[in-house]
Amino acid sequence: MLALLFILFAGLGIGCALAVVAQRNPLYSAISLVGVFISLACLYVMLAAPFIAAVQVIVYAGAIMVLVVFVIMLLNVEQEERRRPRLKFLVPAAIVLSAILIAEVAFILVSVQEFRVSPNSTASNVGLTASIGSQLFTRYLLPFEITSILLLMAIVGAMTLARRGGMLSPAARVIPGTQQFPLSMVDPNAAPDDLRAVETESSEEAARLLGITDFRNQSKRD
Amino acid sequence: METAIDIALKLVAITVAFTVVLLIVAYTVLAERRVLGFIQGRLGPNRVGYGGILQPFADLLKFILKEDIVPDKSTRFIYFLAPVIATMAALMTMIVYPFGPEITIPFTSITIPLVIARFDVGLLYVLGITSIGVYGIMLAGWSSNNKYSLMGGLRSSAQMISYELALGLSLIGVIILAGTLDLAQIVERQSGWHGFRWLIFFNPLGFIVYLIAAIAETNRVPFDLPEAETELVAGFHTEYSAMKFALFFLAEYINMFTVSMLATTLFLGGWNVPFAEDIFGRGTFLFGLVSAIGFLVKVIFFLFIYIWLRGTLPRFRFDQLMDFGWKILLPLALLSIFITATLVFLFPNI
Repeated sequence: MLALLFILFAGLGIGCALAVVAQRNPLYSAISLVGVFISLACLYVMLAAPFIAAVQVIVYAGAIMVLVVFVIMLLNVEQEERRRPRLKFLVPAAIVLSAILIAEVAFILVSVQEFRVSPNSTASNVGLTASIGSQLFTRYLLPFEITSILLLMAIVGAMTLARRGGMLSPAARVIPGTQQFPLSMVDPNAAPDDLRAVETESSEEAARLLGITDFRNQSKRD
Repeated sequence: METAIDIALKLVAITVAFTVVLLIVAYTVLAERRVLGFIQGRLGPNRVGYGGILQPFADLLKFILKEDIVPDKSTRFIYFLAPVIATMAALMTMIVYPFGPEITIPFTSITIPLVIARFDVGLLYVLGITSIGVYGIMLAGWSSNNKYSLMGGLRSSAQMISYELALGLSLIGVIILAGTLDLAQIVERQSGWHGFRWLIFFNPLGFIVYLIAAIAETNRVPFDLPEAETELVAGFHTEYSAMKFALFFLAEYINMFTVSMLATTLFLGGWNVPFAEDIFGRGTFLFGLVSAIGFLVKVIFFLFIYIWLRGTLPRFRFDQLMDFGWKILLPLALLSIFITATLVFLFPNI
């Protein structure tokens, strides 16, 4: 029974993984990747690691891949065209590297004859939430905190990159009814130090307040 | 032999649970139309059967008999896959909820728990499957090859990602108080004080945040921007007809139901009915029956709140939606974690 389920989920995982690479449409690849993550989660459950399985689904399938699909949909990425590879030397390099990988796998299959660890997975409670939690917050507290700080740095970095230049002030964010100007037209130095929200009747007046002199000409050219 | 009986019992449990849930879901649709009619000063559907009691079956028949139209330029495979994902993800969470305590069937010695499957990570399982459900809506919006559908799909995914954070964080207070992720154990923890030791009394802020975020997660009024009919025709399911539309419709109502079940399980004591244990005694059949009915009554109370909100509140604007999710709900959820953690630290035996 367990072997049958393993074959099912492993086959599903490998099939989806091949589809990720083979598909020409990026959205199909993304969906196949979700399939890979879900079949991996099923395998984790069979290995008596339910916490890892749940986190796999929540983080990878539920959060990261949703963002990827979101971006593909937003940009409306077209089907990738089949073209000649530009860097010709990569082809033999890939063949050599894959040969080495296959040799390694074959070596492991031949040399490892028996399992050192008993595959009887139900006996241990290593994969259960309570044991992971207590280990994470006692013995591995420092790596855990360092990882959190790393993630925080990534968030702050992304914010900084996204908001660099361009932004006039917090008051100038886009709300319905607000005028929007191309970034190239706006001179941040022209804004006064004490920025505040000002209501104007027309686009021309708003442009004058922002220090844009040739508003009409610019918008025609755009 | 033992395993064969186990599997047979599980199959019976699954069939019974799903039938009961789908029946309640079908009648939620009817109740919604009747209650909305009452709120808006009109009658609502009352012609099919006595007082409209057969209306859900008439609707189902109509869904089956209608012509199924597939847009010419749609991406066919994904177009067919999307409603399946939505419905499957909605149904799959049903198996971890404890509908009642262990009961003994009268005149036999067979004891069965009124829960289909018990996981060590039941709560995380629910969150994971719920997050898979987003794909149904997103892919439906993309594959229809329609601008309204695409806008609906994009809005829905942005909204669900934003509110999932507040939803997940609002549940952490419960996890701290209960000390487990297993839903059956969380309910057991709430059975003290004559069945009144509900976690809502220890974590009211988390409950409020959860309730709001859950409404946003199920795309219901006032957070129904993905299908705002005044702007987007019908949003992500504009191009869907007949049974495929019915599947989306079903998924939405099942999601309402499961979200209400989660609220009941985590905050309102699950199947714990006050004083039921004192009257009937633990483990008797009557106790199990009363508890299961109590559970369903609490769930139906939440479903009524959903309908009530739909009848009374206007829709959010999109920027208001994002501001509310990130700037109000998320900090409130963090505050609820802080308060609960302090409470548990000061009174470890709470």
